[in-house]
Amino acid sequence: MNVTEAAAADATVPAGAPILAAAGITKRFGGLTAVNDVSFDIPARSIVSLIGPNGAGKTTFFNMLTGLIRPTEGRITFEGRNITRSRPDVITSRGMARTFQNIRLFGAMTAVENVMVGHHSRMKAGVFGAVFRPPWVVKEERQTTDRARELLGYVGLKKADFDRLAIHLPYGDQRRVEIARALASEPQLLLLDEPTAGMNPHESAALADFMRRLRADLNLTILLIEHDMKVVMGVSERVTVLNYGSRLAEGTPAEVRANPAVIEAYLGKEG
Amino acid sequence: MNTTTITPGPPATAARPVTAALAAVRRYAGRWGLIVALLALPVYYGVNDLVNGYQAAVVAGHPVIHHDLSKLGFNFAEGLSDGAIWALIAIGYTLVYGIIELINFAHGDVFMIGSFTAVGIWSALGLSLTTSMLGVIGGLIVALIVSMTATGTLNVLIEKVAYKPLRAAPKVAPLITAIGTSFILQNVGLLWRGGSQLSVTDVIGSQDVVFTVAGVPILRGYLLAWAVTIPLVFGLSWFINRTRPGKAMRATAQDPEAARLMGINVNNTISLTFLLGGALAGAAGLVYAVYETQVWYFQGFRAGLFAFTAAVMGGIGNVRGAVLGGLIIGVIQSLSDERIGPQWTEAIVFAYLIAIMVLRPKGLLGEETREAG
Amino acid sequence: MTELRAQLSEWRAAVERALPPWWSKGLAAVVLVIGVVLPFITGSQSGFLNGTIVAVAYAVMSLGLNVVVGMAGLLDLGYVAFYAFGAYCMGWFGSAFFFGVHVHVGVAPTLSHAIGIHLNIVLVLIAAVVVCAVAGMIIGLPTLRLRGDYIAIVTLAFGEIIGVLAVNGQSIHVGGGMTLTAGNLGISAIDPPWFPGTGSFSLLDLRPWYWLIFSILLIVLFVNVRVRDSRLGRAWVALREDEVAAVSMGIPLVKTKLMAYAIGAAFGGMSGAFLGAYVTEVNAGQFQFGFSVFIVAMVVVGGIGSIWGALVGGLLLGYINNYLIPDVLNDLPSRFGLHFQLTSVSFGIFGFLLVLVMVVRPQGLFPERRRTLEMTGEVAAMDAELGTEPEAGNTI
Repeated sequence: MNVTEAAAADATVPAGAPILAAAGITKRFGGLTAVNDVSFDIPARSIVSLIGPNGAGKTTFFNMLTGLIRPTEGRITFEGRNITRSRPDVITSRGMARTFQNIRLFGAMTAVENVMVGHHSRMKAGVFGAVFRPPWVVKEERQTTDRARELLGYVGLKKADFDRLAIHLPYGDQRRVEIARALASEPQLLLLDEPTAGMNPHESAALADFMRRLRADLNLTILLIEHDMKVVMGVSERVTVLNYGSRLAEGTPAEVRANPAVIEAYLGKEG
Repeated sequence: MNTTTITPGPPATAARPVTAALAAVRRYAGRWGLIVALLALPVYYGVNDLVNGYQAAVVAGHPVIHHDLSKLGFNFAEGLSDGAIWALIAIGYTLVYGIIELINFAHGDVFMIGSFTAVGIWSALGLSLTTSMLGVIGGLIVALIVSMTATGTLNVLIEKVAYKPLRAAPKVAPLITAIGTSFILQNVGLLWRGGSQLSVTDVIGSQDVVFTVAGVPILRGYLLAWAVTIPLVFGLSWFINRTRPGKAMRATAQDPEAARLMGINVNNTISLTFLLGGALAGAAGLVYAVYETQVWYFQGFRAGLFAFTAAVMGGIGNVRGAVLGGLIIGVIQSLSDERIGPQWTEAIVFAYLIAIMVLRPKGLLGEETREAG
Repeated sequence: MTELRAQLSEWRAAVERALPPWWSKGLAAVVLVIGVVLPFITGSQSGFLNGTIVAVAYAVMSLGLNVVVGMAGLLDLGYVAFYAFGAYCMGWFGSAFFFGVHVHVGVAPTLSHAIGIHLNIVLVLIAAVVVCAVAGMIIGLPTLRLRGDYIAIVTLAFGEIIGVLAVNGQSIHVGGGMTLTAGNLGISAIDPPWFPGTGSFSLLDLRPWYWLIFSILLIVLFVNVRVRDSRLGRAWVALREDEVAAVSMGIPLVKTKLMAYAIGAAFGGMSGAFLGAYVTEVNAGQFQFGFSVFIVAMVVVGGIGSIWGALVGGLLLGYINNYLIPDVLNDLPSRFGLHFQLTSVSFGIFGFLLVLVMVVRPQGLFPERRRTLEMTGEVAAMDAELGTEPEAGNTI
């Protein structure tokens, strides 16, 4: 079974229901309110973007979704389950994966090894399996390696680079490996934190196409933090705008682009 | 034109009262749990003394039982004096950690070298109980100055040789060189004054009672400890808060890059920190030698761990915290030595160290390092 | 310095290119053969064999600490605790210490009616593994949320507490007039190992002892290599490199780190139990902080994270400490007119070694590829420049 077939077999959320529902999410750090009463639903199999000026609280919100930070108030439901206070590794095993704004690959591991780590929560071998290597462990390892290589090919890495150390790869390839690593955990929901950072327009457009392909092939839902408006407008079905931690606007790309409050937030008051 | 379609989400669920309460409990359990753990010993023994009484003396074959707090008071008096020594050493740990986030493992052994040096100086000067008071004070001041200079310089040297080359390396590297340096110094001590505990001349009659307060004897040794520690701590405080190099130290501790950009010579500031920390350890060494009338090449290891526990208890990087922590550890040590048994004291202090790390790693007064700052 | 390192790296790469592809496996085979036949070369009573036995036992501990420090990246300064637990398992379950009890499982016929608990050494080793794995997890648990240097201090504190318990155990009564330990006097008259075919070991013939510890070493090496190249091993590297990214990829932090403590501790326990029998006594004076540092030195000098590095470091420092310094070089200072023996400066020497290695070559003698990158940073740049990409799947 190849990557895409496997994903299709995994679809669990009925069409139409939100795969993720965040209600009243607030985060206060001491006296500072970083995220203020943000509510947010992501329909299954959609591509949704979260935008806003720098410091608007987007990454903090992301970090709350993935369990790295606990919300001060609010509730997050993923596929019907309450994950508000869940640990990050538990959330990942439930089917939510992410990439990072500043690429956080495991530098001293090869590309393949990085992606294999992504598959950790789907594997079962423990210490006894490691030591005695019964047939099912051997099979699991081989399957994980094969799948990792398949995913790397799918994201467009050259075969010659599969066994190179991650720190030796060029920036663009590192981004690909990070996505492959996230995909290795067989997510239903993929969170991408500024995936086009550092890319030129040509590369960004290619990434936008890739996201559409991902959604179709792997039956994914994608949530994007992005600054590149072309990508946002081109690929999203819905856009949510944060400003100073609060939800400023939400709607289709066209609606949001024309919203005066959004324009003001980005450009400042017209003098 | 209605452009904004803010889909009304479900009503914001306020945090349920139970969850909020639990969160508050967890937040306060840390600090208060630690305080309760710290108070447990003195309170227990205080109550025990009052209710069950303690044996204060034996008169004509019969034990004399008192029901008051003066034994506890004695524990405190002794504890605060031991604690003064730990406080001086703890300041060294805390200053160094605050500025370069390194546990200077060799610091305790620098203290030991300070003791050894002090003993050497006053032996050379021929101080003893028969020397006049002026002579003793003068001699001790000379010994203090020499020890502080020696240990301050030693600390600076250690930084240059063992820590500076590893500033960019992962933290495990300088920690290991710190341990290595500690061993080297211990071996130096071993070769210098032998492997067993060495009695030294009781220069001031440190066990003599000078006066009594509410039944608690105040010994000469206590007065010496406080006479040395209090001015040094205030002097250091003044230096850090009021002088330019002192402020440079604080700035570098908070943000070395910003300090560099402001024109502060970070290397010199770090050396200065080591100098001050080392000097205080030297002072502690002298006080220890006079007070305990005994030195040992291995005293630095134990002292170092106790002082580091003190520094962490008060809040690493925080000078007031180090002093507070030192005094607390001193009292715990005194209570344990007298009430439970000196063979258990180390285990008890280290159990407290683990308790701090589990309950409140920030310490009682909060950290002051780069991350916290 | 950088040019020197670059030059050395280039030479090393050139040498490695010249060797046939099976060279590392060949070398391992040669070492294995030497290891097996060594006692026949040295004779059954040789001082060198004695030194080797102890060195191999230390190497097992070094391999154990390497799992915790090297692979999982948790600086454990209290490893002596596991030596203590292992040795006390031997003392408790292989002597007349618990005189109020009579338990005998798989022991020599001569012991089948002796007082105390007497288990076959294999059972004692298993007991040591279990006790130490549990102890390791208990000690590791408070450290999980702490940063690196605090982990060092907490583990050190635990090591000291265990040491205090060992000394004061003679006043802790466990019932029937028996105490927990024998303090500084020590539990003595430990049963020698006994197997149905060979009978009881004796200290007149060191060879069976050697083969026993050598077998333990092979087992430990095997477990090490297998675990390193497994899902668990990868998880450790990931956690070490970037904890946030690792947990975000689904690696459970607590479980994975506790596994490292447990496995590392278990190895220490096995070696400790063996040494308890070999030295024929277990006394509290054996369990001091200095020993923890000694094992750390082995891992560091050998190469943090590298299995072969830990092995070589263990053997090397074991030999130096137990053979070279006391038996061979002890009167070196007197030849220079100095009035002390070399043993009295042995820990100063180790201290110096630690400082030297960290300053000159922090990645150790036989670095593990990843740790070199982490420890020096410049190697990566050089690799790229010289085109000496390390080959994938760097094996033994």
